[in-house]
Amino acid sequence: MTSHKKGPVAPLSPVLLAGIAARPLPHKLLQPAFNAAIKQMHRQHPDVFDRLKSVNSPRFLIDPVDLPFSFVMDTLAEDPTLEIVDSDTDERELYTQAAIRGPLLLLIELLEGRIDGDALFFSRDLVVEGDTEAVLALRNAVDGADIDVHNDLLAFFGPLAKPADLAAQAAGNIFKRFTRDLETLSRATLAPLQRKCDAQAATIEELETTVNALKKQVRRRSGKTA
Amino acid sequence: MTTTHLNMGPCLFNWAPEKLKDFYFRVADEAPVDTVFLGEVVCSKRQPFFAPEIPEVAERLMNAGKRVIFSTLALVMTKREMALVREMCEMEGMMIEANDLSACAQLSGTDHALGPFINIYNEGTLKVMEQQGAKHISLPGELSRHSLSALAKVATADLEVQIFGRLPLALSARCYHARSHGLAKDSCQYVCDKDPDGMDLDTLDGDPFLAVNGIQTMSYTCANLVGELDDLQNMGINHFRLSPHDTDMVEVAKIYRDVLDNKLEPIEATEKLDGLMDGIPFANGFYYATEGAKAKGAIADFGL
Amino acid sequence: MKTEKLELVCPAGTPAALRAAVDAGADTVYCGFRDATNARNFPGLNFSREELGEGIEYARSHGSKVLVALNTYPEAGNPDPWHKAVEDAADLGAHALIMADLGLLAYAAEKRPDTRRHLSVQASASNPDAINYYKNTFDVKRVVLPRVLTVPEIAALNREIDVETEVFVFGGLCVMAEGRCSLSSYATGQSPNMNGVCSPASHVRYEDKGNKMVSKLGDFTINSFKESEAAGYPTLCKGRFVTQDKASYLFEDPTSLNAAQYLPELMEAGVTALKIEGRQRGKAYIAQVVAAFRKAADAAANGEAVPPLGLERITEGQRETTGAYNKRWQ
Repeated sequence: MTSHKKGPVAPLSPVLLAGIAARPLPHKLLQPAFNAAIKQMHRQHPDVFDRLKSVNSPRFLIDPVDLPFSFVMDTLAEDPTLEIVDSDTDERELYTQAAIRGPLLLLIELLEGRIDGDALFFSRDLVVEGDTEAVLALRNAVDGADIDVHNDLLAFFGPLAKPADLAAQAAGNIFKRFTRDLETLSRATLAPLQRKCDAQAATIEELETTVNALKKQVRRRSGKTA
Repeated sequence: MTTTHLNMGPCLFNWAPEKLKDFYFRVADEAPVDTVFLGEVVCSKRQPFFAPEIPEVAERLMNAGKRVIFSTLALVMTKREMALVREMCEMEGMMIEANDLSACAQLSGTDHALGPFINIYNEGTLKVMEQQGAKHISLPGELSRHSLSALAKVATADLEVQIFGRLPLALSARCYHARSHGLAKDSCQYVCDKDPDGMDLDTLDGDPFLAVNGIQTMSYTCANLVGELDDLQNMGINHFRLSPHDTDMVEVAKIYRDVLDNKLEPIEATEKLDGLMDGIPFANGFYYATEGAKAKGAIADFGL
Repeated sequence: MKTEKLELVCPAGTPAALRAAVDAGADTVYCGFRDATNARNFPGLNFSREELGEGIEYARSHGSKVLVALNTYPEAGNPDPWHKAVEDAADLGAHALIMADLGLLAYAAEKRPDTRRHLSVQASASNPDAINYYKNTFDVKRVVLPRVLTVPEIAALNREIDVETEVFVFGGLCVMAEGRCSLSSYATGQSPNMNGVCSPASHVRYEDKGNKMVSKLGDFTINSFKESEAAGYPTLCKGRFVTQDKASYLFEDPTSLNAAQYLPELMEAGVTALKIEGRQRGKAYIAQVVAAFRKAADAAANGEAVPPLGLERITEGQRETTGAYNKRWQ
């Protein structure tokens, strides 16, 4: 586990705007909609939760890195829940078995089976922490169901979903430029720190090589098989 | 009380013919083993070198009162390899150990042995093989105590378990010795002869992991079931295989014989074996249905 | 004997993937039950009895067939799950059972003689004598060839046997002889033969070390990636290891098999069916790969050149190999 608190919000997708737009609203206000959504998912796709029984119905942290909040999903086959948690929550207190982090759009595409989970592993857009087996089970389970996020889930947000959707579409292009600017800025401020880290990494690497060589020497008592 | 048998498995490594011949002569003269397995199991390219010595070696072993069984190749792909297997299986009056189904096919209907490269995982398969004439079966190293005892309950053939030596874990069409030396398999220069116990394969952290032996991948650890011998006998398994290594195998055989004869405790035996194996760690994890690399019981202090 | 038209055999780990494969033009789909009776016993994957029944019905109504993989080695003292799987798959109308274990083949041949038997790649039958043995003893109708043979070797083999052959053309590549590998259980206690899993996710850990990401299987480091490098799944034989003081992908580079270019030669060699690996992959992947190979197989059947498949982006580590089909691979 790398960080126990959600890091700075990554400025990576138009969905960020949706998040910002929703910001003044207390996130907990959205909770009833999520309750309805997970109930609906449970009704339409019970097999998803059935498939997770083989790994003891784990509890997941689902972290759309471009939203100011995350989700905790309990996958109990009889009564699954989806709970919103604020970004500043200490993740250790959530008692999840595993975490999946990635841009919201990718998480949605993954949920709908439009993106191959294996391929995501290779491209590192998705970060998996904790119990890898549980995450693999979840991916396989949702892939096995034909989930349509828009029709199945977003419908529950009714008027709430709409403005966010529109805002996201309209702001797409401006947002791209904004992202570029942000990256330039962060490179400039981070460069000196990065150089220092690189130097330390080099030292560590050197030490690792030495330790490895020593391990090998210790292993041989008389050097016969070396 | 039933008698227990120590058997010397086929040499899996590429040793020079003179070295191999000396090894077998010494085994004939001094090692307390009952059966000796001869023949190249791993790589058909190595086979021609020792073949001319085999008649003399076999005769010497038999004159010393040892039973000789010939082991076939484990991976048979080319026409030449197929021919080698057929030729061996056609030898009159000799017991053959099949290590591939092609050999089983030839030997069906006559008494024969099965090597650990034949997948015998359950009673159903055991029964099929026994009906075809399998009389001596060396079981795969991956089997747990639970599986071994279930098989022993119903077996009519003699069952054997490898109790010493690096375990065979995988076979490939690719030669990893050649690949590590930047050579093609076809022009390998027989570089596997540089590593008489296999070539170390370490993790990126420098931890020992596996051993490479030509097209074969083996455990880095050396199997050692010295602490499980009583248990094995209680379940009715009385044949124990020693897999040859580049150490004093006569001494290794004597140590296990002493343990079987209750003259030596497993712990003391392990200390002696540790000296002979130059610190290569021991393992018996497969027996306990856990990671094969793990060491439990009598050898726990000598593991990875 | 030259093949006129290659049969396309496609993977499905879930009912959704089965439908995706059928819709994309699979002649045949193979799948397994949700337990250790098959070699893709991954968490959350595979079919319940009910799902398999529905899947077979869906395939049949679209002119496709379903094969059921029962290709692990039954555990000693516990044959029931495997025996029941044979009975259930036959009852549900599976076109054939894919098996590797001799005892299970004997059981299926005796109890359900009318359901076709295919020899799984997990039996690693790589030569004519072994294959003929399976045919003569258990009346096996088709053998899935191990991924160790070159195209000329496959052609020579087909001249000496009288059963259909099926070969892998796309997906993950086992570099070891299948069904004869205990590397996974050496590191994790679980193996393809006994548990239906290789390098299981339950034993996988990714460790972020700041300047690098380390992937571990059990106690062993399988690979290490710099920040810019794509971090692959730590399948044991695709790891980076050190021999003779050099770190390398000694067993196999993180590549994926793509033998599309060999389709005409495989037809010439008398191969009956092409197999796509990947019951653990998502339905999006399945749809894309099956559609591409449908086109390729049809082109080959018409004597046309095999078109570029455009599958580079979804292959592991973004690289492809033609594997053992080309002798230089050895």
